[in-house]
Formats: sequence, C-alpha cells, structure tokens
Amino acid sequence: MSLFRERAALSRRAFGRIALAAMVTTAAGAHADSPPAPVFIGVSGPVTGPHAQYGAQWKQGFDLALAKINANGGIDGRPLAYVFEDSQNDPRQTIAIAQKFIADPKIAVEVGDFSSTSSMAASPLYQRGGLVQFGFTNSHPDFTRTGDYMWSNNVPQSEEQPLVARHVVEDLGMQKIAVMYLNTDWGKTSKDLFTAAATDLGAEIVAEEAYLGDEKDFRATLVRVRDAAPDGIMLVSYYNDAALIVRQLRDLGMEQTVFAAGANSPEFVELAGEAGNGVHTAMNFAPMSPRPMVQDFVAAFEAEYGSAPSHFSAMAYDTFNLLAAVMRQYGTGRDDIRDGLGQISGLESVIFPEVSFDPETRRISNPSVTELVVMDGGYVPYSGAGQ
Amino acid sequence: MEFLSSLISMPWLDYSISGLVIGSIYALMAVGLALIFGVANLINFAHGAVFTVGAYIGWTCLVGLGLPLGVTIVAVAAVSGGVGALIEWLAIRPLNRQSRIAPLLATIGVALMLDQIIHIVFSPTPRALPANIPDWRIAVGNGTIGAIDITIFATAVISAAALYAFLFRTKLGMAVRATAQDDDAAKQMGVNINAVNMTVFGIAGALGGIAGLLVGLYYNSIDPNASFQMMLKGMVAIVIGGMANVPGAIGGGLILGLIESWGIGLFGASYRNLFAFVLLLVMLLFRPNGIFARGKERAAEPMTGTFVTQTKAITLPRPLIWVLIGVAVILPMANMPYITQVMTNAYLYGLAALALTLVSGTVGLVSIGHAALVAIGAYASALLTTKGLPVSLGIVIGGAAAALIGTALAYPAFRLRGHYVAIGTLALGEIVALVILNWEGVTNGALGVFAIPPLEIFGLPLYGTKASYWFVLALMLGMAGLQVRLLKSHLGRTWKAIREDTVAAETYGVSSNYYKGLAFGFAGFTAGIAGAVTAHQWSFINYDSFNLLFSVLILTMAILGGLGNVSGAILGAILVAALPEMFRTLAEYRMLFYGAALVILIRFRPQGLLGSG
Repeated sequence: MSLFRERAALSRRAFGRIALAAMVTTAAGAHADSPPAPVFIGVSGPVTGPHAQYGAQWKQGFDLALAKINANGGIDGRPLAYVFEDSQNDPRQTIAIAQKFIADPKIAVEVGDFSSTSSMAASPLYQRGGLVQFGFTNSHPDFTRTGDYMWSNNVPQSEEQPLVARHVVEDLGMQKIAVMYLNTDWGKTSKDLFTAAATDLGAEIVAEEAYLGDEKDFRATLVRVRDAAPDGIMLVSYYNDAALIVRQLRDLGMEQTVFAAGANSPEFVELAGEAGNGVHTAMNFAPMSPRPMVQDFVAAFEAEYGSAPSHFSAMAYDTFNLLAAVMRQYGTGRDDIRDGLGQISGLESVIFPEVSFDPETRRISNPSVTELVVMDGGYVPYSGAGQ
Repeated sequence: MEFLSSLISMPWLDYSISGLVIGSIYALMAVGLALIFGVANLINFAHGAVFTVGAYIGWTCLVGLGLPLGVTIVAVAAVSGGVGALIEWLAIRPLNRQSRIAPLLATIGVALMLDQIIHIVFSPTPRALPANIPDWRIAVGNGTIGAIDITIFATAVISAAALYAFLFRTKLGMAVRATAQDDDAAKQMGVNINAVNMTVFGIAGALGGIAGLLVGLYYNSIDPNASFQMMLKGMVAIVIGGMANVPGAIGGGLILGLIESWGIGLFGASYRNLFAFVLLLVMLLFRPNGIFARGKERAAEPMTGTFVTQTKAITLPRPLIWVLIGVAVILPMANMPYITQVMTNAYLYGLAALALTLVSGTVGLVSIGHAALVAIGAYASALLTTKGLPVSLGIVIGGAAAALIGTALAYPAFRLRGHYVAIGTLALGEIVALVILNWEGVTNGALGVFAIPPLEIFGLPLYGTKASYWFVLALMLGMAGLQVRLLKSHLGRTWKAIREDTVAAETYGVSSNYYKGLAFGFAGFTAGIAGAVTAHQWSFINYDSFNLLFSVLILTMAILGGLGNVSGAILGAILVAALPEMFRTLAEYRMLFYGAALVILIRFRPQGLLGSG
C-alpha cells in the first residue's frame, strides 16, 4: 500500500480523497463493470535520507496535479495514479527501482530521480528497458544523452544562464563580478556558462569561489570575495546556502548588489531575514505571474498546504500535467509516451507559457525567466534601476 | 612567487577572526565528545544527532510556543540531556562488556533513528530560527563580530571550565575520573558506575543540545541533515586537543577553525574539509595524544585484540554452503528482475565487505574509509575505459590501482591502533573524495565521469540483468574462496597473530607492516574490482557515488556478519542491502526501522551473526 501513503500531517480532505481512491482501486479488481484500471506513473525519489525535503515537495505538487487531472476525467476515463518508491537519492536503490518499474507492466512512464548521480545510474536500464525516464530536476548537461528514452523539462542552463548574465550585467550594472558557486554538476555548469556569457557582455569576473554542499560557514570565503573588490556578487546556490551567504555577507559589512540564482524559494526569504531584502533573483516559476493557470495553482496550493509553492513543487505539478497531456493525446503505451513527448507543442504550464521539446536534445525549447527582487519579506518583479 | 606575496598580503586578522568564530562552534561540539570519550572510551557518533535535537527543541520553544530565550535554553538542556542519558541506557550500557566496536556501531544506529525522528516530526526542510538577540556588532579588522558570536565562544569556554571544575573539584567528578581509569576498581570502591556514565552522557547531551540551539540562532537556520558534519568536525577537534582532554577540546576546536579559515584564504572553500582531515591525520601520526599532552602519557591505546570481539565463529556446514550457492545460481531463473538487481547490488556490497572484513576483522585495522578503495577502483576503470581500454582490462587495473594506491595511503596508519585507525581511515576516505572533486584535470571534478562503457568481457556483453548478476556472483564467490584459502594458510595465521598482539608477533620476527600491507593489497584489489564493476553498471559516477555513508554501511555489514568471517561478510551484505528494500513499504519510517534493527542486532549479537573469525 505504499501507493497511498501520505505525510503524517494528513488533511481531512486529502484523507477522504485517498480513502476514496483506495476503494476505487480495490473495487477495480473485484468487479468487471467497475471503473477502468488506473494509469500509473512510477516515481523514483528521496522520501527518507538527506534529500527527503525535495521528495516531500514533489509529493505536494504531484497530489495537487492528480486531484485536478482526475477531476477532469483522468486519462480518457482512466484515473491517473502514481507509485512513489523511496530511493534516498542513492544510485544503488535507483537501479533496483528501475528494474521494478521496467518489469511492472502497469507503469506507463517513470519520473525522477533527484540528483544526477542517482538518476543517471539508472538511465542505461530505462533505455534498454524501453521506459521513458522523465527527470524534472536533472540539470546535468549529459542527463538526456544516454538515449531517446531520457527526457527532461528542467531548463537547460545553456539557455538560462545567458538570460541571467544579461540581466546581471545590463540591468543591474555589475561590471566586476565575484561568483560563488556550489561545487556540484549543476553549480559548476551554471557558473561556467554564466561567466562566459557575462565576459562576452564586457563584464570582468574578479573571483570564482567554489564551496561544498554541506557548508554553513562562509565568512572566510567572503573575505576572499571582498578582497577581489567586486561591484556585484553572483551566487549559484540553493536557497538555504544563498540565505546563509547573504546573511554573513551583510554581517561582514559588504554592501554590494547580490544576484542569487537559487534564492527563488519562499524559504529563502524566511531564512535570510532582514539580509534578504534587495537580493535579486530569477525564476522560471513566477508565482505572481498574472496568467490564470499560475494563479489557480498558487491558490490551490496555498489552500491545500498552507504555504506558497516552491520551485520543486511547481516542477512536480507541471511534470504530471505534461505527462497527462501527452498520454491523452498520444496514448498510454510506453513508446507512445516517448514519441508523444517529441511531438507535443503549445501546451501551457505553470512554469512555461508554452511547452515543447527539442526532439534532438530532448529538453525544453526557448525557456524564459522572470526577474525578481526580494522586498519586505516577499518577491516583487524587477522593474528597472533604482531597486 | 605569487603564492608567497599573497601569503604576506593576506588579511590575516580577518581570516583569524572568522576562524575563531567557526572554531568556537567546533569547540562547543568537541567538549561533549571529549567528555564521553574520557569516560566511556567511545566516539559518540550520535552526538551530532543530539545537536540536531537541541536545535529543534529550541525551535519548538522559541517559534512554536513563543517562550523566552532563557526558558528555551533550560528546556533544550533538559530534553537533550535526557536524550543523552537515554542513549547511554539503551545503547551503551548493555554493551559494557563487549568490544569497543559494538557501542560505536550502536551509536551510529541511534544517530540514524534520531535523525529520522526529526525528519518525521519536523519535516526535512531547513527552518529559520529567529530570536530577539541584541543586534549590536563590534568592528574588528575589516569585519564585525556580534553578540551571538561572543555568546557561542563564552558558552564553550564556560562549559569547559565548569566541567573541568566538576571533574577535578567535586566528589562525583572524582567518581567519573575513577570510572574512566578503571571501572572495575571504581565499582569495588563503591562507585555506581552506571549512574556515573549516565550523568556524563546526560551532561554531554545537554551541551550538545545547547550547541545546536546556539548554532541555529547564529545561522538563523536549522537543518536535520547537519548533524553528521558537525560531529565530524567535533571529532577532529578532540583529536587535536587530546581525545579525552576537556579543556583541550576548546583549543582543538579553535585551532581547527583557524587552520580551515587560513586554508580557505590561501586555496578556497572547496578545500575546507581537506585541511581538516589532513590535520587530523598529521595529529594522529605525530601527536596522537593531542597537542596539549605533556610527553607521552598514553602512548597507544592499550587495546590490542580487544577492539574486535573474540568468539568462536560458526562454520556453515559444507552441504549447506553448496545448497545456498545453488539457490543463488538459479535465482535469476525466477524472472524477477527487481530481486535479481537487489541481489546483484548485495553481491557488490559483498565484495567490498569481504575486503573490509579482512583488514578490519582478520588484521584488526577497523576502517571507516573503505569507500576510498572502491572509489579508486571505480575511477581508474571508468577513466581508462572511456578513453578506449577494454572493460575487462579496466576492471583488473581498477583492482590493482585500488590495491597500490590504497596500501600506499594507508601505510602511515599501520602504526595506529583501535579508535585511531578508525578515525584515521575515515579521514583518508574523505581526503580521497575531496581530491576526486578538486582534481578536475583528471577526474572531471564535480561533473563526474559519464558514458562509462557497459559490462563486457572480451566482447561478450554482460550488461543484461541476469548476465551481470551471474558475473558479479562468480566474482564474489571466487574472491571469497580465495580469501578462505589465504586465511587457512600461514598468511592467515600471521595476520591473526598481528591482530592478537602486534608486539608479540614482532618479537617472533614477523614484520607486521609487511603483512598489514599484504592484507591491504589483497583487500584493495577486491574492493577496487567491486568499484570498477559498479562504475560499468551505472555508466555514470561522481565524487559522491562512494561517500562516507557507504563506508559506514560496509563496516556495518562486516560487523553484523562477524568481523573476519568470510561467509559472515556476505550474509551481512545481503542483509544490509535487502533490509531497506524490505522496509520499503514503511516509506518515511524506513530508516527508523533500519536504525532500530541495527541497534537490536548489536545489542543481542555484538560478535556478529556468524561470530568473528
């Protein structure tokens, strides 16, 4: 019954829905004239272990998407459901889960895993097994290169970083930039692409400082950054690192403009406190976007979970909606989904005004970013100089 | 020259201040660890988890209940002190008469459980921990220090001073010291050693909890995943200050903070932990009693032969072994690829565990850095085969590289014993991972190695689920058979003689370093092969593929099966690989059960399931 396992704090509404779904599935086995069998998505992701927070955010997005999809008739009358297998973001477990999903005929498509280490270890199995591996957090440039069953709607950094660099150099006027980046595949790739684009625009990179993922203390690194005399600071960080850096930066008396690539989560504002004010960031997902689809999502999310959606929840929500759309249009067979992903176009999502994939790279084409500033405990869209 | 000029022009004062700020956090952590080590002769791996418990109790009081800071501190001290005492009562006391490795593993199990409870109760997302602390800051050099920095430093110093006074000026303190020196004698003198131990764990727990609260306030962020890193830094600090030296722990913490900070000033933050662990190794090798020790008080831990529990190993009857092998061979025929894959993983674990059980069980060098050998094998084969070398050759070279590099790296540690070997190898493991991350020219750094060719031998593809299962099974059985043969030869007897009493063995003309080197070489080869095969199976590896957690898992397998016991290592590997899979349906409660299973197994079978060989 792992399928219907929920977080400990279960809302009454969610419980009712789960109970109903459980009854539906049980009934489906018992009677021939009962509702048709659900279509299953297999999710491989961290429920326990050091990355469990991300798995929890995924689930919120998935559940919200399913409620809406199934209220609108599911996939041609069949309800959509998912099986969430805990991988702890451990490659040894993702390959076992891959075998499980590939061998299980009811799984139509796989989603996950979280990091490139754990996802890419399973890619050869999914490729040989002919099951689409849809990685929505996988920014590693090689993720989709294992084969034609690997797809990702994660924004390719090669497209995003030039947009960021333009904003940082032209709008924010940074000319001597110090870059601090998380020393992972995502951080390193993003940093390289950003510095190349910023240099092309005429800015000078005066410092590049890598740091490790479990770092909490940045004071010494910031002394290095300060002595490089930058006029602006670029952070390629997750929101919790970014919050720590920004606080310690202001404590050291550094007043430079800061652009923090990963500071686009509501938690950043809370963790950074006062020091967060005036920090610039950019988001693929902009919760204040006037598009009705975004506003519906944000309202539904807040009503269900009592907090604003994070980037990961929005990605998760989008991913299920996208897969549902593909299955409705092109069928629920494993190869139907692979082919459908290459053909679908013009689909609106909460992150992208229009989703389509480049069939060669199997990644999203032409993403856009929304530029934001943190102000008074929230985000406001960037609106020109003077902020 | 450029380096020299940067050395001179470096703003030393600013780096020193940032070093002292982080150093006082390490010191606060180290005081509790030193106290426990002094009394129980044990590195409490659960101390980091108590730190996290303290942080979250603090959040509950300050943010959840809106209590004032003073009340919060008392509540944090009370609850985390209680947790500390509970750890002693549940996991340490029942293992009092067992080898030291048993309680070490029990604390790891407890740490897993505590971390998971925090995850479940408070969710794994980091939280803000705001408080009304005076917002003044003093300018020092070109930076500033604030009220909370001073509070952390003062708490560390005051608690160490208070503990020192307690240990050397009070009667209970005398009882604590007596217990630390000789618990049997203390008992005969009427000391209730259980009460003493519980008090010490309680005090250490309270300190750890307060540390968690203060650090959370300092960063305005608490995170259930921070505990292990914190514990490691505290451990390095006590090695610098002298393992059981409570005031020394303060010095150790500050020195560690300073060296890290200066190192970052010179080389950058990506190398931070490298300085910490290199410093640790240097200390272990040259000043194992800490820099504050006068002369050679406790040259080496007098624990030859006692680190590993001695029992009679259970020998599996030959027919049973053949039946089990037969079952293993026909298992893939059941056409359950998921089970086949889990067992393939288990056998790869098994290969690594075989290697570890040889060095840790048979020779007595308990290693928590085993992942390094596996990583070297994996990287060697991955890098060579992506450049065109055949896979079969890559695997062999991977094994050889792990054997050579591993033995060379571990060689200086051969003169260490007991806990010092464990800590030293842990440091080695971390150093290898950091070198892989930072040596971009060779290892491709953070991006890892992609497109590693799939398993094949002389053109025969082995990447199918069943084929790779049989290949790995054959490898594991082959290496196990070889190891059994070696153990029965004079080599095996010599290894055991070194484990039982190195001095006596040397007296009989056994060159212990040579034989330890042989053991490491053989083990390195086995572990390297395991790593190489894993790399070809996954097609992608990076510096984090074989991390500290992996080392701990392998050690868990070897201890569960019975240290030194070949069939035990395999049984342990299968259990550790299969248990989390069996608990899969428990979702987020999974690691809780895993931790509990570990603690219970150690509690009732400290010598391992099949007994140590």
